[in-house]
Parts: sequence; C-alpha cells; structure tokens
Amino acid sequence: MRRRRGELLTALPFLLPAYALFLLFLVWPALEALWLSLHRENLFGRGREWVGLGNFQEVLARPEFWKSALLTLKFALVVAPLELVLGLLAALLVYRPYPGVAFFRTLFFLTTAVPTAVAAVAWGWFLHPVGGWANRALAGLGLPPQPWLTSPDLALYTLGVITAWSGVGFTAILLTAGLQNIPEEVLEAATVDGASPWTRFFRITLPLLSPTLFLVGLLVVLKSLTAFGQIHLLTRGGPAESTMVWIYRVYQDAFFNFQVPLAAAEAFLLFLVLLLLAALQFWLLGRRVHYAA
Amino acid sequence: MRLRKLLPTYLMASAYAFLLVLPLFTLLSASLRAEGDLYAPGLLPPHPTLEPYREALSRYPLPRFLLNSLLVSVAVTLGVLATSLLAAYALTRLRFRGREALFGLAVALLLVPGEVTFLPLYLLVDRLGWLDTYAALTVPFLASPLGVFLLRQYLRTLPEDYFDAARIDGATHWQVLRHVALPLSAPALGALAALTFIGTWNMYLWPLVVTKSREMQTAQIAVNFILNEEVARWNVVAAGAILVLLPTLIAFLLAQRAFVRGIALGGLKG
Repeated sequence: MRRRRGELLTALPFLLPAYALFLLFLVWPALEALWLSLHRENLFGRGREWVGLGNFQEVLARPEFWKSALLTLKFALVVAPLELVLGLLAALLVYRPYPGVAFFRTLFFLTTAVPTAVAAVAWGWFLHPVGGWANRALAGLGLPPQPWLTSPDLALYTLGVITAWSGVGFTAILLTAGLQNIPEEVLEAATVDGASPWTRFFRITLPLLSPTLFLVGLLVVLKSLTAFGQIHLLTRGGPAESTMVWIYRVYQDAFFNFQVPLAAAEAFLLFLVLLLLAALQFWLLGRRVHYAA
Repeated sequence: MRLRKLLPTYLMASAYAFLLVLPLFTLLSASLRAEGDLYAPGLLPPHPTLEPYREALSRYPLPRFLLNSLLVSVAVTLGVLATSLLAAYALTRLRFRGREALFGLAVALLLVPGEVTFLPLYLLVDRLGWLDTYAALTVPFLASPLGVFLLRQYLRTLPEDYFDAARIDGATHWQVLRHVALPLSAPALGALAALTFIGTWNMYLWPLVVTKSREMQTAQIAVNFILNEEVARWNVVAAGAILVLLPTLIAFLLAQRAFVRGIALGGLKG
C-alpha cells in the first residue's frame, strides 16, 4: 500500500500534461455546452439567466431545426451506403497481394490525404456548369447539363457524393484490413467444393465481413453528421437552405444570427446523437471486432 | 497464365482508380491552363503553363498560409506524441490507486465528438484572449484521448522484462521512458503521428472561427478565401488548391504505411 501511494507521486508529472489539457479543453467545454444550453444570453450581451429546458423547447419548436435534422439524416443515408460500396469495391481490388498492388493501394487510399478544402475545390471545378467534366461527359452522351450544386433538389445529393468520395480512402483502408482478417482456408474450401466467385462473395466473404461493415458504416455515419468544410466551401447551406444540415445550422445560429443559447442547445442535441452512436460503436468494438494493425 | 488470370483485376482496378482520381486530375489540368484555355476541351491543357501558380503566389501569401498549417500541424503532432506517451507510460508501468479510473476517463473522452464542443471551446479561447493566435490553433489539441488510448494499448503488448531489467539496473522512470519505451513504441508513435498530422492539417471549422487576420489563416481556410476572391479564374483557384494539396500528398506518399496503420488502429475514432 505504501508503495502504491509512492508511485502516484511518481506518476503525477507523467499524467499531468495530458490530463490537465483534457480537463481544460474537453471536459470543461463539454460541461459548458450543457450549462450554456440551460441559460440565455447574447454573445455580446450581459447577464445570463437560467431558463431550464427553455432553449431546448424553443429549438424543438422551430420548423427549421427539424428541417435541418431531416436533411442531416438524408445526407447520412446518401453518404453511408455510397461510401461503403465504393470503399468495399476498392478494398476487394487490393486486399490480396499481386504484382502492382501497392500502386493501386496508393491510388485508392489517396483521398485520405486530400484536405477537405482541396476536395471541395476539385469537385467545384469538376461540376462547373461550363468547364466541368461532369456536364461535358453528359453532353457527350447526349444528356442535358445538370445544376449539380445550384439546384435545391440536387445539391444535397451532390455534396453526399463528394463526401463519400473524400471518405473512400478511409473506408477502403478499414475494409482491406477486415477482408485480410477473413481466413483464407474457408474460401479455399468453398472453391474446392465448386462454389462460384459470386457464391463465395455473397455466401462467405460478405457475411464474415458484415460486423466490420456495420462498424465502418457507423463510423461513416458519424463523420457525415459533422461534415462541414465541403458545405461551407460549396453551398453555404443553400440553395434555399437545401444543404443547411444540423452542424451548419449550429454554426450559422452562433456566428451569424448571434443566438448563442439556441445554437448551444442545437449543438448539445447533436452531441447526444453522436454520443449515442459513438457509444454503440465502442460497445461493438469491445465485443468482437478487431482490426489488424 | 498468371497474367491472364490477373488481367480482369488490372482492368477493373485501373478503370476505378482513373474515375476516383479524375476530379483531382482535372483540377491539376485547370491549374496548368492560361485563362483563355480554361474551357478548352481535352483532359490535358493544350498549352501547359505555370502562370496560374505565379499568379496565385503573387496575389496571395500562400507560403505564409502553408507555413501556418505546417507549424500548427507539427506542434500539435509533437504535443500529442509527448503527452500521450507520458500518460500511457504512467498508465501501464506505474502502479497507483485510480489508474484504471484515469484510463476509463480517456476512453470516455474518446466518445466526446470534438465537432460539437467547438462553440464552448470558442468562448473559452475568447476568454483566454487567444483568438487569432497560434495558441488557439494548437494548445487545445496538444493532448488526445485517442493518443493515450492507442499508446497505452501498445505499451501493454511490450514484454515486461525489458522494463524490469532497466529498473533493476537502477534506471529512473524517466530514463526507462527515454531509452526503453520511446524506441520500442516507434511503430505506434509513427502511426499516431501520421493520423494526428493529417487530422490537424485537415481541420476546417475550428481555424475558420478562431482566425480573423489574413496572417493567421491556415492553408485550408485560405482555399476558401481564394475561391471567394477569384470568382471566375478557376485556374488560379486550382493552382492554389494544388499547392495546398502538395504537402499532405507528399507526406502521404512518403509515409503511406504509417498512415494506413494509423487509420486502421485509430479507425474507431475516425
């Protein structure tokens, strides 16, 4: 027992830098987020008053909030399946070694190294009404040009594609690790039994990969719920608020409408949603999924 | 025979890789075109020129933006490595009451999504008088729960004997950390460094709200600025974006293994 206490003193200087920073910049802001959302004040005003759940009531009564929440859900439902399919396709093409596989891995994993702002500009040009390749390709096929980012019906989907593209590298890396963890013998046994490649994929690979797929899917959803940079660069929440997702509304309300308490309440609700998903992911991780390092 | 079997893979991988890289390629192509050639058809610029780069560099302090990003990313990466290794060492090699609780706190903080605490963090940084300084861009991120978590898990896999032998020889914990834990953790530190560097370089929302003056802006925010200034001159915008892309691209190509490892290890946090 005496030894234990002695080592606590030894441990303190080791622990202090990390944990002091945690307390100041993670725990404190998280608590203040809650505190802010229970009070009312203006960013430039004076005095705060306790309003209990008043801010939450007000937020939940705003149709714009529900519109943003719904847009965010729609966005996640566009991004997650698309990114999983694109990432899985890439992973399937590179998880086994063959001459030249390193080259293709580099290309498929490359989007992880592309900063959000650069990805947004690249796509902004790619989808440019006049010079963009997307519309030129459509014209080549005899199809009319599309208002990719300027139509309220299309902008959210376009941003979803851009976000999925940005995440392909990340998803491909995780799914490559997942595919490499599937024991080769199972697939060989099936081949010996005469199973076709399609049967092997849908009957063996996919079921064995499904825990990883689910987990990576959850991660993609989590990331898509806080996608901000590409929206700020390309649509600013428009046109006609059609891409005003939850996190963007928090930003807008806090820094442009100066409704800090409402923004804090909106942020706290988003925080709860993310926390729930993160806890689910962590619980699943603890249960069964292990990534190969 | 082997080649014939591999041919479908090569074809599919090439076609898919081409489509994935296409937006970046057309960006590069735009950055090498004079204004008059911007809308000329063809994937390749008809008359390649570096004029847009010269233009972008003369109109915007791009080296300053890139330097800001580099300083911030390097500082945060070094900070995270140091604070994480120190804490992880205490959490694995020292015995004291509350050790598991402290590790539990780091795990719990892993779940706190940083993106939604930006508002109170902004107010805190404002109160500290840090708005528009390097402090705002670096200090809040010098410690990372993910770093503590990853390194603690890694240190636990190292054989106890190395540490015990050094202790028996009379080394202090600081010496053990420096001469045993540090070199042995190199692979985990490399992965964590890659993950932290790219994560910091890619930060968007935070630098957007805490920087005000042009001199403090990071490269990412600068891209937004150039995009707004150069409404129709996409070749200049593209040149700026390519210059912002280069450092991460080079870092990725040089340290791809560490990046991939970092993402595979840290995937649980993204």
